[in-house]
Amino acid sequence: MKKLLLVPFLTLASSLAAMAADEVAKAPPAAPFQQVSKLVKLPDFLPGMGQLFVDPATLPAGPFLAYDHDGKLVSTIYMLPTKDLNPDKSFDNLAAPGGNVDHVDVYYNAGHPGVEEPHVHVVLWHVAAASEASVAK
Amino acid sequence: MTVARREVLGLGLGGGLVAALSLSRRDVWAEEVVEIRMQGRADGAQVWFDPIGVLIKPGQMVRWTNYNPGNSHTTTAYHPANGKPLRIPEAAKSWDSDYLLPDESFSITFTEQGVYDYYCIPHEQAGMVGRIIVGEPEAHGGWMEPVAASRGVPDEALKAFPMVEEIMAKRIVGRL
Repeated sequence: MKKLLLVPFLTLASSLAAMAADEVAKAPPAAPFQQVSKLVKLPDFLPGMGQLFVDPATLPAGPFLAYDHDGKLVSTIYMLPTKDLNPDKSFDNLAAPGGNVDHVDVYYNAGHPGVEEPHVHVVLWHVAAASEASVAK
Repeated sequence: MTVARREVLGLGLGGGLVAALSLSRRDVWAEEVVEIRMQGRADGAQVWFDPIGVLIKPGQMVRWTNYNPGNSHTTTAYHPANGKPLRIPEAAKSWDSDYLLPDESFSITFTEQGVYDYYCIPHEQAGMVGRIIVGEPEAHGGWMEPVAASRGVPDEALKAFPMVEEIMAKRIVGRL
């Protein structure tokens, strides 16, 4: 009986996730996401990341949604201040609307407008590593 | 009282304001513009001014240009007007370029002798700072002492300043 109830629940959850991914698959994502370069003074297209969108209410962690020159979602990025990576702080239930993840990059960033402190970029790539070239420049 | 001027130059992006240097006698010998590059690694892991320390003459212009295609930078004086302790000569005017996008520039003509410390707003905590010394050391032995106010300045920034003596000796101190 329990299994019978579980099957439709999982199917529904899977469908909702797919719908969420569809909603952000092409730029621009719907509100409350906003173009980062219109929120702070940054280049519209950031080499290595792409064109970024974020819900300002989620700063600094994000998620930031990154798109290539054709408006295709390539990654979801979280920006975690290094000072917050300590025993008294955690980042829970960060939204992940981008769908399937191919691979993950984690690297240090010295800061930039919007997140003006050293932080870590956690990048969920939705494309294969070879396709990262689409946002290289 | 300093008469430092502030001009913003638009370089490489379709023009902008052109710096208008006055043609005083002082400017004739100090006409060479000192260029300071705002730079960063492609992944944003490191950012810096280069050179990080320069010795210039009174009346000489310094121009900062953002050569970092993936980031914005500022040149901002350590001054109470910018919410920071005073680390420029008391008589000098404060400055803040605001964010410079890639290829944008900002220039100032320095006239007041002394030590000027400045930083990049989003990258101060990452140690992106610089130091300019204006004047002739042999004629002004006392003024070159580094200004001491450091409350509110991150350790990474304090560690990054080149020594006054090193700038005096080399005139230009590049990024290590």
